[in-house]
Amino acid sequence: MTTATTTGLPRLLPRDGGRPEDWRLHMARFGPIPYRGSTGRLIDDVREAGLTGRGGAAFPAHRKLAAVAEAAANQRVRPVVIANGAEGEPASDKDATLLWLAPHLVLDGLQLAAEAAGADRAILYTHEDRRDDVGRRLRAELRQRRDDRVDVVLATAPPRFLAGQETALVNHLGGGPAVPRFPLPRVTERGLDGVPTLVQNAETLAHMALIARYGPRWFRQLGTGAEPGSLLTTVRRGGDGRPRIVEVPFGVPLMSLLGDLEDAGAVLVGGYHGTWLPTAQAMRLRLDNESLRSAGAAVGAGILAALPGDRCGLAETARVVRYLALESAGQCGPCLNGLPRMSAALTALATGRAAGRAAASARADLERWAGLVTGRGACHHPDGTARFVRSALRTFAGELDRHERGRCGAANRAPYLPVPSLTARTEEDWL
Amino acid sequence: MSGINSSTALWYVSRATGAVALLLMTAVLLLGLLVSRQGKLPGLPRFAVTGLHRNLSLLSVVFVALHVLTAVTDGYVTIPLISAVLPLASPYERLSLSLGAISLDLTLALIVTSLLRGRLGRRTWKAVHWLAYLTWPVAWLHGFSAATDLRQGWLFAFAIGDLLLVIAAVGWRVAAAAREVPRAERVGVLMAAVHQRGRGR
Repeated sequence: MTTATTTGLPRLLPRDGGRPEDWRLHMARFGPIPYRGSTGRLIDDVREAGLTGRGGAAFPAHRKLAAVAEAAANQRVRPVVIANGAEGEPASDKDATLLWLAPHLVLDGLQLAAEAAGADRAILYTHEDRRDDVGRRLRAELRQRRDDRVDVVLATAPPRFLAGQETALVNHLGGGPAVPRFPLPRVTERGLDGVPTLVQNAETLAHMALIARYGPRWFRQLGTGAEPGSLLTTVRRGGDGRPRIVEVPFGVPLMSLLGDLEDAGAVLVGGYHGTWLPTAQAMRLRLDNESLRSAGAAVGAGILAALPGDRCGLAETARVVRYLALESAGQCGPCLNGLPRMSAALTALATGRAAGRAAASARADLERWAGLVTGRGACHHPDGTARFVRSALRTFAGELDRHERGRCGAANRAPYLPVPSLTARTEEDWL
Repeated sequence: MSGINSSTALWYVSRATGAVALLLMTAVLLLGLLVSRQGKLPGLPRFAVTGLHRNLSLLSVVFVALHVLTAVTDGYVTIPLISAVLPLASPYERLSLSLGAISLDLTLALIVTSLLRGRLGRRTWKAVHWLAYLTWPVAWLHGFSAATDLRQGWLFAFAIGDLLLVIAAVGWRVAAAAREVPRAERVGVLMAAVHQRGRGR
């Protein structure tokens, strides 16, 4: 996708429309890894570039790097760096796409991050089910690489929504279930095997590989002052809901990504921990956190979905919340008890089982439960789910009123947003 | 044994503190079982149950210390101080006092690891704390075999009552642990229950 505002794009993805870049093509396009020879310099460049984490939290990348390097120096141990391509979010496909089309940028970034942090171990954590044979391909490409200084181990994430959550990832690589733990001590202090651990999203590392080559000033040529650079987005619009992966600069108008959406019912921004917005409101916003914050939304991992006008937003929300409730690790009371109740209430509203006064009380219950679970989990799963539910109550208020009177405006009952059917039943499903 | 006088006082104190220590250890064990299942006592918040467990355990150590020191100091029978912690070191009541020494050693291990819990890590602490289930029976056997006191009269009822109480409480704990839904299945079980009820409405 090339418009006047997007010169120089794509930066990460292959230029000739989706041909996977093997080692030879990658070397021809980018050349060898520009190692820095010491730990500090790349961190300074990453800070000047203003690179933020692309996994969803938008945390400044240089601060994590510096924290790990410093903790390792203090503890006199070698840290671990991990490229996180778990992408547990079913609505996102950008990390899988990046690892399929441009794996060597991620691997270059992993080597550079290892050098910057002083690490002697590197792990690439992926969700193998996303692409047939991605594991075999990555292994083959890893063998091609000549200038790696740290051996890269491939690890597979279980197909769980929370598998990519930082502490869950560390738990899983340590041999345990991929369930989150209490955030303290930070994994940057004590992570895998008790050593400082750098967990960076795969896309973040790919950007780092480019910053190391072309410098912070080049990086800032795209994007906004607060959020420079480009990002990969997963965009869904139109009937079949098939996602497109598009690399855009921060600050691009949502309208230019989603196109003319007169018929759309609503827009989901930021995925299943994100926010439903009315189409008219979404069309006035730009894809950066400053603009989206004004609407109570966030970029997250760059997921955008325009719900077609013939679908029921409530039914979609109920399906997704049921999935999110089933993906709770079941460790924290508010999440374990709250999410299934929210799921049941939403299902009752969506199917019309709760009508009249029962519907009114279900709506009040949902608001109350959303407030009760927020901020009360070890991870942000309850918070994100509550945000999603609350935005649905706001955005689909008219639809809720119709459902209360026993009607639904949707002509098309087919599911739109992707929801995996396999849910965890035993401990093994988390391993 | 013919009443309390200056020459028998220490002996009586030793027997009495031993019985009280057993009573305290029983309470500590019961409270520990409750804490391990995250149970509550009526009128007490949960952290207070933990606090009571901790404080009573320290109090029981005070009574055990008195019990040992008075027994050693008393001149009626010869008990070397070292036999308080070293099994088979006492010529008097060799087997019974060995049980007492083992029980005291185990108690010390429990106390020291609990005081150092922040530095040890939860797994190590917990592994050592399982020894509590060994400590109490050894202490009980020590009391029951060493002292004729516990084998007659109301103290016999007290000793047997303690034993039955502990057996019942451990049985409850095992049953509660078996009833517990494993973490990985909790969500599914709750989802099914909530959705089922929603349908019934």
